[in-house]
Amino acid sequence: MFRKLYLLYGLLTLGTAAFGQYRGWSLDTVNQLKNVPKSVRDNPGSYRSVYSGYHHYTGGK
Amino acid sequence: MSTSAPPPPPPPLSPRPRTAGLNCPKCGAAISLRSFGQAITVVCGGCHSILDAKDPNLAILQQFEAITSVAKPLIPLGARGKLRGTDYEVTGFQRRSIQVDGISYTWQEYVLFNPYKGIRYLSEYNGHWNDISICKTLPTADFGGATYLGENYKHFQSAEANTDFVLGEFPWQVRVGEKAAVTDYVHPPRVLASEKLDKEVTWSIGEYMYGREIWDSFKLPGDPPKAWGVYENQPSTVATNVTGVWVAFAGFAVFLLVLMAVFDMHAKKAPVFNHTYQFNRAEAKNEPSFVSDEFELTGGTATVEVKSYAAVDNHWIYLNYALINQDSGQAWDFGREVSYYHGYDSDGSWHEGKQADDVTIPSVPAGHYYLRIEPEVDPSLATISYTVDVIRDVPVLGIYGIAFVALLLPALLISWRAYTFERSRWSESDHPPVQMSSSSGDDE
Amino acid sequence: MSQPVANCPNCGAKIVFRWSSSVQTVCDYCKSILVRTDVDLKKVGQVADLPPDSSPIQINTEGKYGNKSFVVVGRILYEYDQGGWNEWHVMMNDGTSAWLSDAQSEYALSSSSKPLNLPAASQVQVGQQFTWNNQRYTVSVITPAHYRGVEGELPFQYWDKTDVTFADLRTESRKFATLDYSDPEPALYLGEFVEFDDLKLKNLRNFEGW
Repeated sequence: MFRKLYLLYGLLTLGTAAFGQYRGWSLDTVNQLKNVPKSVRDNPGSYRSVYSGYHHYTGGK
Repeated sequence: MSTSAPPPPPPPLSPRPRTAGLNCPKCGAAISLRSFGQAITVVCGGCHSILDAKDPNLAILQQFEAITSVAKPLIPLGARGKLRGTDYEVTGFQRRSIQVDGISYTWQEYVLFNPYKGIRYLSEYNGHWNDISICKTLPTADFGGATYLGENYKHFQSAEANTDFVLGEFPWQVRVGEKAAVTDYVHPPRVLASEKLDKEVTWSIGEYMYGREIWDSFKLPGDPPKAWGVYENQPSTVATNVTGVWVAFAGFAVFLLVLMAVFDMHAKKAPVFNHTYQFNRAEAKNEPSFVSDEFELTGGTATVEVKSYAAVDNHWIYLNYALINQDSGQAWDFGREVSYYHGYDSDGSWHEGKQADDVTIPSVPAGHYYLRIEPEVDPSLATISYTVDVIRDVPVLGIYGIAFVALLLPALLISWRAYTFERSRWSESDHPPVQMSSSSGDDE
Repeated sequence: MSQPVANCPNCGAKIVFRWSSSVQTVCDYCKSILVRTDVDLKKVGQVADLPPDSSPIQINTEGKYGNKSFVVVGRILYEYDQGGWNEWHVMMNDGTSAWLSDAQSEYALSSSSKPLNLPAASQVQVGQQFTWNNQRYTVSVITPAHYRGVEGELPFQYWDKTDVTFADLRTESRKFATLDYSDPEPALYLGEFVEFDDLKLKNLRNFEGW
C-alpha cells in the first residue's frame, strides 16, 4: 500500500520538477513589479522599487 | 449407487449422551463432555480436579487442596465461532507461563472442537491472537530456524512453559504444573512451534489473528483486549515491501538524472548582454542610478541569469537591479552584494565572500528589456569597475536537489517505520536487537 | 456387483455382503464374527461392546477419493496410549477395497501393497528409509496398539487380536505408508493424507447439538 502511494507521490514530484524547469522557476527570490512607465528609460532616478514602500509608481522626483 | 435396496441400518453403537449424569467423584459437580470421545482428560468446573475422560467413573488424575490462581477465559467454554468456514466450540482452556530473566509471562490457550474437523487451538497473549493447528507433515529444523511447507521460519524463542490453570476437556494427559520445552519459529504472520512433553515432540502451526476477528467470529459482547507491543508473528502494518520502495526511488533518481540531462541540453544559455561599468563616486553623487542598453530575450517564458563581477579586495559593492520589460512595464527588482574579505590571523589565512555573484530570475517572458542599475559602494572606495552579464534560459539545478530530497524522505520514513516495528518485535525474543543506549542488556 | 445373502448361523438374521470379496463380517444383531467358507458362514467369535468413539464416519457413509466413489462397509478399532483410531474398510466403485483411517480427525486413505523386503517387527526402527514406487519413505513412529474390535465386512480374517504393532512412514509430501505387524508376515499399506472436505462424505454420523 505504501509503495503505491510512494509511486504516485514520486511521479508527482518528478512532474513538478520537470514543469518547473520548463516554465523557468528558480530558487532565488525576486520582487516583481508592474506598470513601470517607459519614462524610467530616460529618467532612471524616477524609478521606485518595492523597497521604498511604494506600491505603485508615483512619478516625478 | 447400486439398484438394489439398501441394507437395513445397523443398530447404533452404545452412544454416549452428551451429559449422561456424570459427576465429579471428588465434589459431585456435574461434568459435561462436549467432544464426543476425543477428550482424554476433563477438568471439574467445581473443584478443578483433573479427571480421566475415558473412564466411565472419571477417575481423579490430579486434585488440589486449595484453588490457586483462577483465570477466567475471555471466550467462555461452550461458545461457538466460525473459523476458516467451520464452526468450532470452545471445549477447553488453559493458562500457561514462562520465566524469562526472572519475569513471568502468561498467556491463554483455548481448545476448539468440531466433531468432523477435529481439534484446533487459539492462543492469546497481550491481546494478540493466534489460530493454531497441529502440523500434519513434519517440519525440518535447521540451523537457527525451521522449514515447513516451503517457508523458512526464524528461531524466535525457546522456553519452558508451565501449565498454571486448566478448565474443560483436553485431548492429552494435561496436568497443572506440567512443563513443556517450547520453541517458537516465526515467519510473520505465521508461527511454527515445537513442544516437547515427556519425550514426545508435537509441531503446530499458528496464524496471527486480530482480537476484532475473534470477537466477530464468536459474537462476543464488548471489545477485545487491546493488543500491546508487537507480537512475535504479528504481520507488519508498516513493512509493505521496503525493497520495492527503494527500487522505485532508484528509478526516480535515474529519471531525475535524465531530466537534468535533457533540460541541460535543451537550455539555450544564450548570453544576451555584457557590459563593464566604472563607478566614480564624484560623478555618481547626484544620481547613481542609470539604465543599460536594450537587449532582447527570446523564446518562451524562461529563466534569466544575471552575473555581477567586481574586483573587490576587502571591500563591498551592492547593486540594486531592476530588469524592466520595455513594452509591458513588468519589472523584476533585486539587489546583489559582491564582497570579498581576506586576511591572516592566529589560525592561518582566511577569506570570506566572493568577487562574483549570480542570481537566476524566474519565469521571465520574451520581450525587449533593459536593466536599471543603482550601485552602492563601500565608502572607502572612490572608484571601482564592475561587469554585468545577462544569460537567457539557464537550467536551475536546485530544483533537482529539492526533488531528490523530496523523493528520499518518504523512502527513509517508510524504512525507518518498518525497522522500528521489527526491532520492537525482536526485542521480546531470544535474539533482541543490540541496544543503542547502554540500558538493560539481554543475555542470549 | 453381486450382493450375496446368507443367514447368521448363530441367530438367523439376514447377512448381506456389500462387497463380493469380503472374507469376514459381523452380524449386526448378535455381534457374532462370521467367516465365509466355500460353502457357508462360520461363527468364529464374538465382538465385545465397542467403546464409544468420536469418528464421524459410520458404516454406509459414502464419499469420493479422486474420481472414484466409495462406501464404508466395515472397520477395525484400535487403541493406543494417546487414544484410539479407526480403520474403516471402504469399497471403491471399481470393486477394489481400501482403508480410510480416522485418527483424531486426521484422515488418510491407503490400500495394501505387495513389495519385497519388508523388515520384520524386531528390525524396524525410527529413521529407517525405504523406497517404494519411486518415493522415499522414512519411519517416523512405531506405535504399539491394542486391538479393540471389528464391525462390518473385512477383506481378511481379523479378530481376537490383542497387542499389535504399527510402523508409520512419512514422506515430504502427503503420501505415507504403514507397516502392519498384526500377522507374522508384515503387511504394507501405501496411501496419502486427505482433507475431510475433499472426501465429500455423506451419510455421516449425527452428533447431538451439531
